[in-house]
Amino acid sequence: MDIDSNRSLIAAALNRIPAGDRPALQTVYRLTSAKLFGVCLRILGERAEAEDVLQEVYVTVWRKAADFDANRSSPMTWLIALARNRSIDRLRATRANRNMSPIEGATDVADTAASADTALESLQEHARLHGCLDGLASHERVALRGAFFDGNTYDDLAKRMNVPLGTMKSWIRRAMIKLKACLEQ
Amino acid sequence: MSDTLDHNEDDLLAAELALGVLEGAERTTAVHRATRDRAFARLVEEWEQRLAPWAGEIREVSPSPEVWDRISSATARNRLWHSLNFWRGSSFAAGAFAAACLAGLIYLGTFAPKQTLLATIEGGGQRHFVATIDSARGTVAVVPAAFSGDATRVPELWLIPPDGRPRAVGLLRADQTVVLTLPPELATLAKNNAVLAVSLEPPGGSTTGLPTGPVIATGKLTSL
Repeated sequence: MDIDSNRSLIAAALNRIPAGDRPALQTVYRLTSAKLFGVCLRILGERAEAEDVLQEVYVTVWRKAADFDANRSSPMTWLIALARNRSIDRLRATRANRNMSPIEGATDVADTAASADTALESLQEHARLHGCLDGLASHERVALRGAFFDGNTYDDLAKRMNVPLGTMKSWIRRAMIKLKACLEQ
Repeated sequence: MSDTLDHNEDDLLAAELALGVLEGAERTTAVHRATRDRAFARLVEEWEQRLAPWAGEIREVSPSPEVWDRISSATARNRLWHSLNFWRGSSFAAGAFAAACLAGLIYLGTFAPKQTLLATIEGGGQRHFVATIDSARGTVAVVPAAFSGDATRVPELWLIPPDGRPRAVGLLRADQTVVLTLPPELATLAKNNAVLAVSLEPPGGSTTGLPTGPVIATGKLTSL
């Protein structure tokens, strides 16, 4: 199934949930749970905990689907943000399982090799973001990756990359400003 | 940080929140602000949108089937709230429907969280229904999962205690949750390890007191 039809299926199902349409929730789950579980698992690193958070995510979808506005956001953006936020909340509450292995800015392992292989996000958007990430300094890109994929805090990242906290903050902030400018071009 | 000073501080805070680098009071305050400050929430959404395509790199992993069961039973309990709120806010004159929902709600409200038994009713590799029994109140709520209806027959629920004899509980729906009352003699039989089964029966259900059509799915009751 192509991305556009998937996207409109998910958006249509999300729009039916506020009326209490249970099959719509099941449709959303069927189409998106493997991706969202991947997101939770990537951040939490542990299946049982990730499944727990995944459950919270869909119960939240059931209760808050009315907050989703198809005019402002794509359904996957909304769902992924929800899954990331719930996972990060859990990670912050437990402070366990997080990836704290040291990383060095200089040895940026082939970031560009990664590719999107899903029918849920647009390959074009992925390529565009990647193009802009490639324009960052390698230490900036590595720091952003640690935050996005491992759910690391400023403090975690400063430790992992062995730099002062203030340095890490300015790396990330500068990287985000550059990223935005590039994406808006 | 001199080159970040001219940049909008709110936008940077939104970026930090969306990226997930904040913790403790900083994160709590920013999350709270996003729930009250529309403009700030919009900035956060814009950042989420910029970053979301990155998740395309994350491998899809199937969660175990129990996760859906848990979601299904957690959401079954507040389904009628949903319907009621929806119909209240709607321009349809659906007073009767709302009243029915309210009655259902009061009924569901009597569900005590204690002494709950759960059964996933499966057959042919498919999960057809998820049933939650409140043994204190003597009610069973049955949520359709993958069950798809049949034009000529209706699904009927049976309780099979260890003696092996099926007792009729009531008719189910493919399209909505059904809450059935267990008569006291059945409520006492609805225990751990008793089995719930679904058979396909003519409209109105079996008239013989036993399943007449095929039993398409079964599931063992377990305490939550």
